[in-house]
Amino acid sequence: MLIKIEKTNYDSGLNKMDKPSKLLIVDDDEEIQSTLKDFLIKKGYEVFSASDGLEGLKLLETEEPGFDLVITDLVMPNISGVGLIAIIKKKFTGLPVIAITGWGEHPEALASEVQADQVLEKPFGLSELEKSLKKLLSSKFDI
Amino acid sequence: MPPPLIGSSKSIEKIREFIDHIADTGLNVLITGESGVGKEVVAQSLYYKSQRKNKPFIKVNCAALPEGLLESELFGYERGAFTGAVQSKRGKFELAHQGVIFLDEIGDMPRPLQAKLLRVLQSGEFAPLGSEKEVTADAWVIASTNQNLGENVKKGLFREDLYYRLNIIKIYIPPLRNRPEDIPTLIDYFIEKYASQFDRNKISKPDADAMEKLMAYSWPGNVRELQSILQSSMVIGNWEEVVDDLSIKDKPDVNSAPDHKGLDKSLIVDTLFDLKNENSPGHASFSLKKIRKETMNIIDKEVISYVLNQTGWNRTKASKILQISYKTLLYKISDLDIKQQREL
Repeated sequence: MLIKIEKTNYDSGLNKMDKPSKLLIVDDDEEIQSTLKDFLIKKGYEVFSASDGLEGLKLLETEEPGFDLVITDLVMPNISGVGLIAIIKKKFTGLPVIAITGWGEHPEALASEVQADQVLEKPFGLSELEKSLKKLLSSKFDI
Repeated sequence: MPPPLIGSSKSIEKIREFIDHIADTGLNVLITGESGVGKEVVAQSLYYKSQRKNKPFIKVNCAALPEGLLESELFGYERGAFTGAVQSKRGKFELAHQGVIFLDEIGDMPRPLQAKLLRVLQSGEFAPLGSEKEVTADAWVIASTNQNLGENVKKGLFREDLYYRLNIIKIYIPPLRNRPEDIPTLIDYFIEKYASQFDRNKISKPDADAMEKLMAYSWPGNVRELQSILQSSMVIGNWEEVVDDLSIKDKPDVNSAPDHKGLDKSLIVDTLFDLKNENSPGHASFSLKKIRKETMNIIDKEVISYVLNQTGWNRTKASKILQISYKTLLYKISDLDIKQQREL
């Protein structure tokens, strides 16, 4: 099991302007992608998803208004999560990123080096993810 | 001008689009694919699309030189660093400052040098041989290999930390046999390219029959082989002879080439007898049931691996193609110990 399913209270993902925060999930594993997406939509967030780094980058470049936060896997085809985070930190300043790591892969150090705001190791609880998410979003909107 | 990346197949179009998106990121790139697919062409396309295009593009073939020589080529040396070093020499990393260093055949780099390369990638600093002074170079590292670096990591031949650091952006170029639709476009391109070197009257495009054979051929040497065949056709003056010379009779099916070699009958039998010593024909008896099970496992593993690799390990798509449930697929992946090749 990659994600621990837990009972959660479905509240709202509204930001301080009472609009749902816009999230981008990038993961080549469709199961994880859809689990996260379903959970976060139920929590009231506006959620977009992409299956690899390039698809994610294209959404980042074209979506208006831009995203409030990105959740990305690290080991993926074409642009790795580490690459995507590096690009985000250079081109989309201030956009927080949560990196999630997979089975026995060890690029976490690289993720921190390119300044991922949070690194979560699988398996992680959905409540843990939401906690990180809320914390990062609130500091983003506090600025 | 960069050599253009020729092809109208989806995979080549996707690579072109990809290059446009990442050429200015300056992030390390690893280009993989069989020999002759055009890894250097992709590296040069990246360079020419980047803001570094007016700076040096330095190529180093990591397989061509022995360890000591490769180290001095890459990092340079001070006068007196070794016998014969009568004057100091700048290394390729320093020469590639603000430009690109293209590390071809990175899979052949000896392990001790991998450590030094890792340090350069981490800090941009290195010390030339015989020098105590650190040199800083800002070179964009584009590496390429025809090996499976992920497998090399598992075998202890390649450093895992270096693998992840190189693998920030990866570009896989499929073999020509998997994109035969690119062959006519490539032929047109090379005919135009070589037209000035040969008698124009002798240059002709292959007719429909020859083209069909060319598209069905397995091209083990990929684009490089096609290029050489084309030059031969220009010298000889007709396609028929050249096409007949290709080992068409050995042509594997376009969709089956080496990925399916595990299905070779004799190989399966040998493997099974190896696996099950008690089943050896030298023994008085052996279990047909066990052999059948092993055979089915080998076939399942080959076919599932193939489909997973083709779908980029998209398990949902793979389960649909294989017409099995998602859960069954996950079970098979685990049961048959199918591992993802992280090159793609």
